[in-house]
Amino acid sequence: MTAFSQLDAFYQERGKHARELHDSGKKVIGYFCCFVPDEIITAFDMVPYRIQGSQSEPIDQADAFIEPMACPFARSCFNLALKGKYDFLDGFVAPHSCDTVERMYHIWRHNKPAPFNHFINVPHMMGPSSDEFYRKELAYFIKSLEEWSGRKLDTGKLKDAVRLYNRRRAVLRELYELRKPDPPLVSGTEITKVLVAGMGIPAANHIELVKQFIKEVKERPQPKAQKLPRIFIWGNEIDDIAFIRLVEESGAHVVMDDLCTGTRFFWDDVPQTDDPLDGIASRYIQTHCPRSNVPQAQTRKKDLENRYGYINRFVKEWGVDGVIFYIVRYCDTCELEGPDLREYLNEMKLPVLMIEDDYSTSTIGQLRTRVQAFLEMITT
Amino acid sequence: MEAKEQVKTTAVKGTDMARKVRGLVKNIYKSAHEAKAEGKKVAYFMVASQYDEIIRAMDVVPLPTENYAGLCAAKRDMDRFLLKAEADGYSQVLCSYARIGLGFDSLRKELGGIPEGAPDGGMPVPDMMLGSSAVCDPRFKWYQAAGRYLQVPTYSIDVVAPPVYADLNAVRDYYIKYQKEQMQGLISFLEAQTGRKMDKERLWETIRLSDKAWQLWYEIDRLRVAIPSPMPTQDHFSIMVAGHYYSGTQVAVDFYQGLYDEVKYKAENSIGVIPDEKYRILYGGGLPPWHTLWIFNYFESFGAVFVIENVYRGYDPVEVPSHVKDPVEYLAWRAYLRFTQRHEKARANSGNPIVERLLGMIKDYKIDGVVFHACRSCRATTVGQVHLKNLLGQYTDIPMMQLVSDMVDLRDYSEAQWKAQIGAFIEALAGRSA
Repeated sequence: MTAFSQLDAFYQERGKHARELHDSGKKVIGYFCCFVPDEIITAFDMVPYRIQGSQSEPIDQADAFIEPMACPFARSCFNLALKGKYDFLDGFVAPHSCDTVERMYHIWRHNKPAPFNHFINVPHMMGPSSDEFYRKELAYFIKSLEEWSGRKLDTGKLKDAVRLYNRRRAVLRELYELRKPDPPLVSGTEITKVLVAGMGIPAANHIELVKQFIKEVKERPQPKAQKLPRIFIWGNEIDDIAFIRLVEESGAHVVMDDLCTGTRFFWDDVPQTDDPLDGIASRYIQTHCPRSNVPQAQTRKKDLENRYGYINRFVKEWGVDGVIFYIVRYCDTCELEGPDLREYLNEMKLPVLMIEDDYSTSTIGQLRTRVQAFLEMITT
Repeated sequence: MEAKEQVKTTAVKGTDMARKVRGLVKNIYKSAHEAKAEGKKVAYFMVASQYDEIIRAMDVVPLPTENYAGLCAAKRDMDRFLLKAEADGYSQVLCSYARIGLGFDSLRKELGGIPEGAPDGGMPVPDMMLGSSAVCDPRFKWYQAAGRYLQVPTYSIDVVAPPVYADLNAVRDYYIKYQKEQMQGLISFLEAQTGRKMDKERLWETIRLSDKAWQLWYEIDRLRVAIPSPMPTQDHFSIMVAGHYYSGTQVAVDFYQGLYDEVKYKAENSIGVIPDEKYRILYGGGLPPWHTLWIFNYFESFGAVFVIENVYRGYDPVEVPSHVKDPVEYLAWRAYLRFTQRHEKARANSGNPIVERLLGMIKDYKIDGVVFHACRSCRATTVGQVHLKNLLGQYTDIPMMQLVSDMVDLRDYSEAQWKAQIGAFIEALAGRSA
């Protein structure tokens, strides 16, 4: 069995392995978004599980608890919880990443409480006092886990966890290197599966599988150059291959991303500091999410550079020809960010297609025409 | 510009003081234009950001962009701004307050001046924008986005509140410390913009005025327990202008003193909003339908009066410990105490501080039914209403209804649908009282 087929199985049957771990006595802690450090949960010998929704299942139960004008990704996650698909979670943790997730935490906690429930307030502003506040919130999260588990956090284990997740980050970056050639050695569809699979299994297993997968990719016959447009995807949650596959089937290579389910969660390392919590706090608060407010620079040009300079690097190094924004509807911060980022990318002479979607595979047909038209525009 | 007929949107007010608010609103925008002409600093700002007193103490003239969106809706002059923002790439589901603000800024830039016939003379170009994370995310992202149209210094602060199940003894100190640091950051920014230092005595004075106004406002709302109702919810949506846009000034204190006297007189003399009050309704939450405020009068035609509301005054007065001697620390403490004032009660009962507030209102104001307003473009005040309804249903069997439209975007409103829903709701109320 190849590493990829194993990763594919984890992708297809999300939660299966975590449920098995729960059944074997492991504590599984489910969490939302990119602001809950895996390292802390792992240092308690618990298994972090990134909560995902289902783009292929209709949201058929959540309406009785939460309004339809809320983020459909969050509603889908809660819908799965209502159907018992997250009953294996021993803990439920939500960060204050955005308005909907903040409100969702309270609704979820009331209607489907886990044995352990915790909310982490994450500053929207950035700066020294915000760093300190977030660090205090993480310390309080640790204290809550200690009280619930009856065990003190071992700082040595937290340092080990930092090293473990940095190894995973490194191996994922190595995988992303394989997207640089033309044509890329690994597809966006495959990458999505690899990343989503990793959100539901222990990091050590994921690292081994990704390493093996990289080896498998390198052993494949070299693909012939096709000169298809190289696409960068920016947005929020893509935990299903449907949209990425649509872009690739329409005649493009998806070569890089800035997504909650992509580089945003793993790209930057946690610095190794004497007190590991210092490094963890400084790394996670810098997550490039539109919900965080980068302090204004003196000029508009500098301001955009401050906010999107990291994307500039992605675009250049991965040889991007065009950018598609995939925004799950009702994400106010992405909706406000989109036009600014488009301005920045247009300055770089990059065409942008902005798509607002319902987090549902049922809309794929409608999107196909827009994507095809965009790709046609790039190639002509 | 072609003259057009003004469609009636506003509600008939219950109090004389509410009828005076229109002048206060006009004055907000007039003052901003005058301030600009005099070389004073004018700032875009967001309500309920806990920083009003700081802005006033620095003699910066606040220009409330959310209020302007509501004003445009009440004047039914919102479409050109909404459509402009949408043409500029903003989604139709994005906060419509933000869409109006961004559309207005975009048009003003494009035209090189105030769009012709803009309500109340329009908003002048501000000298700065002051956002915050209080209430919702768009309140700082909006101003960041407005940087497309306005090359002015922009500064936002975090406003933080611990969740209901937090151990307040464990988190209180660092929450207050962070809040204070955020406010100090704003002061430093304002000092740099205005070229003058914050006068702490002046800050204490604006705090005293603000606390006095909010105390009077609280006492007015307590008078509203009277039967029949001496002041309806549609008046609240007018009289809130003093508390939110004149906070920290004598204007707000004088206004609420006048309103207090009037409401007290009406309560003592049983002068109700309508002659035959049959049902007492709680506006359970959601931003007001600024485009259609007359709907409150429509309810009244069935004898249903909105007697109290849960929006735009989310907290009661709090007592900051006497050991707090620094005004900025006082503001940080006050914010913390406001946000946590029902946490303990909630932990012992429903688990939800807003439910505790609503249950208190249902009891004190002898409520017969609850109406929520879900706004398609407002996550902050809409997401969770169904949850609140579900929780309230565990404690009371009074009828509850959720109307859906938007705070300003008329495209999300259906009069026929609302009237059908309201008819059914009134029947449910009548069925209970039969």
